[in-house]
Amino acid sequence: MTATTPRPTNASGPARRAAANASAPRKGGKPPVRPGLKLRERREGLAGYAFLTPWLIGFVGLTVGPMAYSLYFSFTRYNLFSDPQWIGLDNYIRLFTDDPQFIQSAQITLVYVLVGTPIKLAAALGIALLLNYRDKGSGFFRSAFYAPSLIGASVSVAIVWRAMFSSNGPVDSGLSIFGIELGGWVGNVSLVVPMMIILAVWQFGGTMVIFLAGLKQVPKELYEAAEMDGAGAMRRFKAVTIPMLSPVIFFNLLLELIGAFQVFASAYIISSGTGGPAGMTNFITVYLYKRAFQDGQMGYAAAIAWVLLVVVAVIAFILFRTQKSWVHYAGDNR
Amino acid sequence: MFNTKRTAALIAAATGTALVLAGCSGGSSGGGGEFDPDEETTLNFAFWGNDVRAGLYDQAIDLFNEEYPNVSVQTSFLPYPDYWERRQTEAAGGGLPDVLATDISYLRQYSENGLLLDLEPYLGEQIDTGPFDEAVLGSGEVADITAGIPISTNAWGLFTNPTLLAEIGVEDFAGGDWDDYTAWIEDTTAAAEAAGVEAWGAGDWTGRIQVFELQQRAQGEELFTEDGEPNFDEDDLRDFWNQTTEQREAGAFIPQQRVEEQLPLGAFDTALTASEMTWDNFGAGYLANLGEGYPELNLIEPPVTEEGAKDLYQKAGMLLSASAGTDHGEAAAIFIDFMVNDPEVGAIFGTNRGLPASETARSSSDLSGLDAQIEEYEASIADRLGDAPPVPIVGFGNIEEEFRVLGTELMFGTVTVDEAVDRFFTEMDVALNS
Repeated sequence: MTATTPRPTNASGPARRAAANASAPRKGGKPPVRPGLKLRERREGLAGYAFLTPWLIGFVGLTVGPMAYSLYFSFTRYNLFSDPQWIGLDNYIRLFTDDPQFIQSAQITLVYVLVGTPIKLAAALGIALLLNYRDKGSGFFRSAFYAPSLIGASVSVAIVWRAMFSSNGPVDSGLSIFGIELGGWVGNVSLVVPMMIILAVWQFGGTMVIFLAGLKQVPKELYEAAEMDGAGAMRRFKAVTIPMLSPVIFFNLLLELIGAFQVFASAYIISSGTGGPAGMTNFITVYLYKRAFQDGQMGYAAAIAWVLLVVVAVIAFILFRTQKSWVHYAGDNR
Repeated sequence: MFNTKRTAALIAAATGTALVLAGCSGGSSGGGGEFDPDEETTLNFAFWGNDVRAGLYDQAIDLFNEEYPNVSVQTSFLPYPDYWERRQTEAAGGGLPDVLATDISYLRQYSENGLLLDLEPYLGEQIDTGPFDEAVLGSGEVADITAGIPISTNAWGLFTNPTLLAEIGVEDFAGGDWDDYTAWIEDTTAAAEAAGVEAWGAGDWTGRIQVFELQQRAQGEELFTEDGEPNFDEDDLRDFWNQTTEQREAGAFIPQQRVEEQLPLGAFDTALTASEMTWDNFGAGYLANLGEGYPELNLIEPPVTEEGAKDLYQKAGMLLSASAGTDHGEAAAIFIDFMVNDPEVGAIFGTNRGLPASETARSSSDLSGLDAQIEEYEASIADRLGDAPPVPIVGFGNIEEEFRVLGTELMFGTVTVDEAVDRFFTEMDVALNS
C-alpha cells in the first residue's frame, strides 16, 4: 500500500530544493553576495516546510513512529496487556528455526507472488495491446476491464468469490459440463492458491490502464519505420513496443510485486480469518495478523513484519539493479 | 543536502508530537464509582453472539431501563473470535467497555493483567449471590479477585440430529465407549452414502481439546496442573490422535474440505454431519442455523472412557465482568446483577446463553423444547460430573485454537500425527511462556 502512494516523491522534491537553497551559501564558504536574496530564499525554505507540515505530521506520527515502535517490539515479548519484555533476537531465531507455520506461510506467499504477478502483468499487457489496437469502442471495454479493480479489494467480492468456488458453486458446475470434476476450490488444499491467484489476476485493470497510457506514448513513426524495414507484427512488438514500454513494465512489475506480498483482505475473508484450508491461505500478512491479534504475540508479529519488509526491500533493490540491462528511458542513448 | 541541524530539530519536534499522541492512550486508572439513580449514566456493554442474541439483549435492556431509566446501555456485539480480537486491541489501549461478556478461557489473562474490576465489594449488595451454586460462582474468582459473575453453566455433550438420521435410515447412537461411537459414525457415513444423502456420521472427534481433556480426566488427570504446567506428554497426545487415524484415512468423517466451505458455520449446523460433541449451550444456535427442516436435536452423554469415572464437569459458560477502568462500577454491578439474576431476563433468554447459573433466572424461565432438554441433560449426567478443572491458564484460548487447527490439518493429511504432536508442544511452549 505504502508503495503506491506517490506523495513521498512529490513532497521530497520541494523539501530537497528548499533545504539545498538554505544551505547553498554555507557550502561555498563565501559570504552571501546579496543578503536580501538569501533572506527571501530562507523564507521560501520555511514556507516549504510549513506547507509540508501536514504531510510530515502524518508521516512521522502514522508511519515512522509506528515503524520504530514495531522494530522495538520485534525484539520483545509483548502480549498487548503487560509491558513489552526485551528478549533480544529470540523472535527472529524462533521464526527461522522453530516455526513450521512461518516457513509454510513464506512458501505459499512466494508462490502467490512469483506465479501471480507475471500472469497478472501479462494479462494486463495483453488486454492493453488489444485495446490500443483500435480506438472504436475502446472506451467501453477499457471501463469494463477496469471495473473489477475498482471493486476488487472489497469484502463483498471476496465473499462472492468464496461462494463461486465452493462445491457445487458456479465454477464447479461450469467445469463439470466439460467433464472436469474438481469439486470446490475454497476448501481444497491444492486449489485454493490457484483460486487466490485468479482473483488477483482478475483485478488487472489498474495495471492495464497504466500499460495503455504507456502504449499511447510510443511514437507511431517508430512502428512505421519498422514496418518499412519489413518488420512483422511480432518483430515490431519485440523491437519497438517492449523497449519503449520497459519503464512502464518496470513500474508495474515493482508495484505488483510489492502489492502481492501484502495480500491480506481477500485471503482473510475467503478463509474466514483462519488462513485455512490447512494453512494454504495463511499468507505472511494473514499469519502476522493472527499472531498479533488472535494469539496476542505482538512482538513476534512485529518480527514477521520486519522480515517481510526486508524481503520486499531486497527484491525491490535487485529489481532496481537489473534496470540497467533492460529498462530503456527515452533520451537515454543506450 | 539537508541543513542537518534544522532537520534534526524538525524531526525531534515531530517525534515529540507523536510521542505525546501515543502517550494519550495510556490506561486509565480508577474503577469504582458510585451510582446515583437520578444521574444520567451511560454504560458500554459488549457481548459475543449473533442477531438473535442481540435482539434478546435489547428486550432485557428495555426491562432494565424500566427500573433504571437514567442508565443508558450502549451495546455492541461480534462473533466469538472477532469479539476477542477487538477486546485485545481495546485492552492494549486501555479502553475496555464498562461491562463485557467474558469466557473462562480468557478470564485469567484479563484478570491477571489487572483489566477487570474486582466485583467482590458488590457481592451480596448490588449483586445477589444467593441464587448461585457456590462452586459455579467460584469459577469467576481468578487472581484473588471476583473477576466475573457466571451467566450460565454448561457441560460437554453429544448432539445428534434425529431428522437427518431418519433420512439416512440409521438409529441414534445408543451410548457406549469411544470405539462404539466411532463404529456408529462409520455405519452412519456408509448408510448415508447408500441412501444417497450427502451426509456423514460426524467430523473427526479428536479435533477438539475438550475431548482430549475428557479422556485424560477419565484417568484422573487434568490437562494442566494447578500451577499451569501441562499434565500430559507427547505420547498421551499421540495416542489420542491415533485413535481415529484409520477412520480419517478411510473417509468415515466428513472431508475437511466440505467443512471449510461451510465456514463460518459448522458441518453440524448445515446438516452435513449427524452428530457433534460440544458444549451443551450450542444447541440453540444449531437449531437456528439448521432452520425449519430440522426442528429437533437430541442431546446425549458423550462416549464413556472409563466406567464410573467423573470425567465430565459443569463450568461457567459465559460470565459478565466489568472493566477495571470503568467510572461506573456500581452501575455496572447493578446491571450485571439484573442480567444474570432477574427472573424476567432469565425468561427472555431461556438457554440462549446456556443453562442459567442463577436459580432465580433458571426457575422462572419456563424451559421447554431444547431448553428443557439441556436442563434434563445436565441433571442426567450428575453421576459423571466431577470437580471443574482449575481456571484455564493464560493462553488457553490460543492452545485450544492450535489444537483445533492441527485437527483440521490431520484431516487434510497435510501433517502426520507425529508432526502435529511436535507442533502442538512447540506452540504450547510459546503460549505458556508469553
